[in-house]
Amino acid sequence: MIDLPFDPIRAAIPLFVLAVLLEIGVARAGRSKVVYEGRDAATSLVMGLGNTLQSALMLGLIVASMLFVHSHALFDIPLGAWWAWVVVFFLDDLIFYGVHRISHERRIWWASHVNHHSSQHFNLTTALRQPWTGLIVGTWTPWLLLIWIGFPPEMIIVQNGVSLVYQFWIHTEAIGTMPRWFEAVFNTPSHHRVHHARNPRYLDANYAGILIIWDRLFGTFIAERADDPCRYGIVRNLGGFNILRVAFHEWIAIFQDIARAPRHAVGYLFGPPGWSPDGSRETSATIKAKWRARTEREERPAQAA
Amino acid sequence: MDQAYLLQFAGSLAAVALLAAAAFWARIPRPTQPLTDSAARAFIEDELPDQVLERVWIDAAGDTAVGKAGDMGVVLFRVGDSYAVRTAPWAQVKAARCAKAVAVIRFDDPACPMAAFQLAEAKAPFA
Repeated sequence: MIDLPFDPIRAAIPLFVLAVLLEIGVARAGRSKVVYEGRDAATSLVMGLGNTLQSALMLGLIVASMLFVHSHALFDIPLGAWWAWVVVFFLDDLIFYGVHRISHERRIWWASHVNHHSSQHFNLTTALRQPWTGLIVGTWTPWLLLIWIGFPPEMIIVQNGVSLVYQFWIHTEAIGTMPRWFEAVFNTPSHHRVHHARNPRYLDANYAGILIIWDRLFGTFIAERADDPCRYGIVRNLGGFNILRVAFHEWIAIFQDIARAPRHAVGYLFGPPGWSPDGSRETSATIKAKWRARTEREERPAQAA
Repeated sequence: MDQAYLLQFAGSLAAVALLAAAAFWARIPRPTQPLTDSAARAFIEDELPDQVLERVWIDAAGDTAVGKAGDMGVVLFRVGDSYAVRTAPWAQVKAARCAKAVAVIRFDDPACPMAAFQLAEAKAPFA
């Protein structure tokens, strides 16, 4: 088994509860623009609870895989090496960026991750709206690479927990922007509002976990703009709060698509969300292209005048 | 599953119940007014800028709007304190099944199988 020196998620659970209560209290007192819809918040919370069940069911396989890979590691990096914690902080965050990006850009992983984006609200309960199928589609496997290099599994699990806990507080409208130096380096509520926004301008941006530098480096950073307030949710929002529909709607849609056209199964699974063989549906790229063309059309007469 | 996990899960369940209760109790949803023709058009134009609406029907509750854009129907309906939009062939929208003063419009979409349109009077909608 793996004995963690410290479990950041377990330690943070009381803080999660207090922070949500505080956010609700501050909003009710009229001191922030945060809004809560009861059924939406309950849906997010139940999704979070279901996610913990998924983790429990997958735990054995994940731990066994980690121990197996670690037994074939290239190096033996001790858990107590401070420099290893620094290196793992950056590598973990880089892997998170990559996994998160593919979770938006390829439908098989989006089918799981869409759960986290399906609320039309952006508050601390949205942070807890976690997928039920993420581990099943293998979003944890890229971290095995770090273990194969020689970083101890305990180190990876703790750092993953630190990342998850960090990402909780950035799901809020109660905080405007942080100091400029902080916004330049770290993921913040402002950057993450953009990530959850469905405005064409903001689609597929700001995939960061802790450090926003990866988005700046790989060209996926978009800053929040006062003249284009974030509208949250997904391109075609859900029609209700049925928890099973919330959890599995995109999987059902994929199976329906493949059943109708099995020869396009690869495209439906690994193409971008919205991909269709005849191009009749919209992907983020086509939505953005149409929006850009529209904006340019509208700006041209204004410039001419 | 061991006892420690079950205890932890029970604790999480209690926390979820507490937070959900607080969210319902607080009553701080997004303020939404009943839909009007102009509000529905503005919303649909924002969501589906390529659709040119010929006509819009608003339901008796002000929660749902149906627009006709050529051969397409556009349905805007309330979900909690927010809205969702779907399109369907106009023939499909017009064929909505009516019962007890409600027209049920079906969609071929697992994320949103139907929308309800409250009728003010017992006659065929969207005529």
